[in-house]
Amino acid sequence: MYVCLCEGVTDKEIEKAVDQGARTMRDLRRNLCVGSQCGKCTCHARDVLHEALQARPDVIEVPIRDASIPMDAEVIYS
Amino acid sequence: MRGNTVVIAALNKVLTRKLTAINQYFLHARMFKNWGFATLNSKIYKASIEEMKHADDVIERILLLDGLPNLQELGKLYIGEEPAEMLKLDDKLQTEDIRHIRDAISVCETEHDFVSRQMLAKILEQQEEHQDWLDTQRSLIETIGVENYLQQQL
Ligand code: FES
Repeated sequence: MYVCLCEGVTDKEIEKAVDQGARTMRDLRRNLCVGSQCGKCTCHARDVLHEALQARPDVIEVPIRDASIPMDAEVIYS
Repeated sequence: MRGNTVVIAALNKVLTRKLTAINQYFLHARMFKNWGFATLNSKIYKASIEEMKHADDVIERILLLDGLPNLQELGKLYIGEEPAEMLKLDDKLQTEDIRHIRDAISVCETEHDFVSRQMLAKILEQQEEHQDWLDTQRSLIETIGVENYLQQQL
């Protein structure tokens, strides 16, 4: 299906981009222009990206740290 | 007539769903037409027009309640690449719409706006009919296979 309608980008194209090394939303925007017009597709594109990344044994996704929560030194240095 | 802001907000949410559905169905209909599936084209085209009539009812109701109908907001479209996928995505949209209309109906009930409630109930009835048609297509595709199904849609 079409994920980004403004740029005509499908889920398969995103998966292919991941196969070719795309890892972040920024990569997708640069390679396929995903989300560069109305921006309505960013949530959906992110879901497709995460799913494609999760399917790869060579990629570990690190959750983004919430900046409002102070860093826990124990976690970092343990 | 001065309307209840909670009801107006609920109606505006339904309106956004309607405006989104108009576009999704319209594009799908014309994609079917472009591929030569005349039956699917006319069915989905009519569904789009139905959505527009629903939107019209909701707009008029919001205006009558002294609210401002929001025609600016549009949800995300779920456009498929091939017929079976397109029908599946329409089904998904329709299911979500029905859920939103039911929510709006219960808002109208708690706020004692029975006229808005009645309008939504009428819309809901037509939504359910279209969903039933979509369900039938899905099970047809499952039983006779997508090739045979599409053969009948030319
Ligand atoms: S749908 Fe992707 S930018 Fe509009």
